[in-house]
Amino acid sequence: MKQLNSILEGFGSTLQLLVRTFSYIGSLPRQRARFIEQCYLIGYTTLPIVAILSFFIGAVLALQAGYSMQNFGAKQFIGSLVGLSMARELGPVMVAILLAGRVGSAITAELASMKVYQEVDALETMNIPPARMLVLPRLAAVLVMVPVLAIIADLVGWFGGAIVAKYTSFISIEPEAYFSVLRRYMKFQDVMNGLIKAETFGFGVVLVCCNIGLNTRGGPREIGAAVTRAVVVSLILILVLDYFVTKILL
Amino acid sequence: MNNAQQTARVGLFFILGLALTWVTFETLSGGTLFKNKGYTLVAGFESLKELKEGDEVRMAGVKIGSVEKTRLAGRRAEAVLRIDADAKIASDATASIVMAGLIGTNYIGIDLGTAGAAPLADGAEIQTRVTPDINTIMTEIGNLGQKLEGALSAFGTTLNGDGKGGGLFQKLDKIVTDNSDRVSTTMTNLQEITTKLNKGEGTLGKLINDPALHDELIAAVAEIKSTASQAKGFITDAQGIIAQVKSGQGALGTLVYDETMANNLRVTVTNIRSVSDKLAKGEGTLGKLINDDTLYNTAQSTLKKADRALDGLGDSGPITAVGIVANSLF
Repeated sequence: MKQLNSILEGFGSTLQLLVRTFSYIGSLPRQRARFIEQCYLIGYTTLPIVAILSFFIGAVLALQAGYSMQNFGAKQFIGSLVGLSMARELGPVMVAILLAGRVGSAITAELASMKVYQEVDALETMNIPPARMLVLPRLAAVLVMVPVLAIIADLVGWFGGAIVAKYTSFISIEPEAYFSVLRRYMKFQDVMNGLIKAETFGFGVVLVCCNIGLNTRGGPREIGAAVTRAVVVSLILILVLDYFVTKILL
Repeated sequence: MNNAQQTARVGLFFILGLALTWVTFETLSGGTLFKNKGYTLVAGFESLKELKEGDEVRMAGVKIGSVEKTRLAGRRAEAVLRIDADAKIASDATASIVMAGLIGTNYIGIDLGTAGAAPLADGAEIQTRVTPDINTIMTEIGNLGQKLEGALSAFGTTLNGDGKGGGLFQKLDKIVTDNSDRVSTTMTNLQEITTKLNKGEGTLGKLINDPALHDELIAAVAEIKSTASQAKGFITDAQGIIAQVKSGQGALGTLVYDETMANNLRVTVTNIRSVSDKLAKGEGTLGKLINDDTLYNTAQSTLKKADRALDGLGDSGPITAVGIVANSLF
């Protein structure tokens, strides 16, 4: 019961934070510097790990698909399988998980520290709402940066699959054939669906992490607990949202 | 890092994202945003089978467009085809749903149509024809399998019997059992015959084993062939003659097919008959010559006299000979 109450409280406070943040949306142009800084942290600094991870996810996807599909002579369809998997599912989910691990945890740690060391209280005392100054630039930045990360993840994953498909002895599919099949069976709508999913996940992850960070109570030990909780909740949120968003978009 | 650098990097990153999105869109959508979108055609089918939006439209194997939309229109299904602007489709060209693979990949195949036919305009309806899909083929194979099973069942019944009467094998077995003695005798006889043949005994054995007989036979066959060849030539000649006769050429042809000639011949025969009748009756000079003995007797007497006169000639000179002849004759 206590757990359920805690979950419901978390839902409620997150929604309240969302509403409060939207109410300050008009102040975003004045927070241009913070917005740019968050874009840099969320997007630019996450790019290398997104690229590396998506390359190898695409590669291993092609490898596994080639190994499985060679048994029934369908390995020429690897291109479409890797393309659709990366664009519709793995790209967005992987970007969201990286965001949760790399950006979400950092946001929670930062906001939890500010809360624990009463910096948030100081802001409120100065009549500066934390939702406006701390949450709004992050949410705006994630909305702008996540699609970019997702499209890069898709493309790098496709190329990773193409390289593996060409240089693996039991697959040996030329990149032209790989991309030809990929193009034949994919529509831009598939990529768009993936971007919408990534956007939803990224927005949810940052919102949840901000909320957990701002609601941290206690001493420095609670900061670590808040970060752990934020990452766990973010991962669960990603996978739960993934099912429903996919269902809606199909 | 100062704010300006950070801003520049974020801006560059964002532009990179937009560019990649644009490239992806151009690649996957065929870059149709600012290009000439071509024109649409409507193709009506009884069923679109596995055809779906985005599938290719090919003419003679070349991609010329894609299926833009699929919809139900009354009692039929329609596919709206987006055709490239530079692809002209003849008004008598026909579209069909072609199966590209066994895993449900289909495309619209359009034939070239007639060379001089007018091209179809935007929004026009293209003629279609039905092609068998995989389900139809599988159904046909299923029916074939059932027929094959029925035929094999009937064959099995024939061989093994249907429970009431014995099958072919039982009947054969009964025949062999009942006639085992005869079969044995027949086999013995056959063995004897083949032994004799092998030894060259008897006519057939000699024929098989004796090379001289074989050569003679070959020679006889050659002779027969030659004769047959000659007969063939003869028949050819005869056919030629018959053909000539039929065409009324030559004496025989004229005789057979010329009516004037036939009439003349008829008249001639009538005349001959008249002459012969007169001859028989002794009429006329020739008739009397044949029928009157007096002329014969007179001639005989004359010849006798001449004979005597000639005998006298041998004994007398030439002047007296003339007198003797004259005397003998007159």
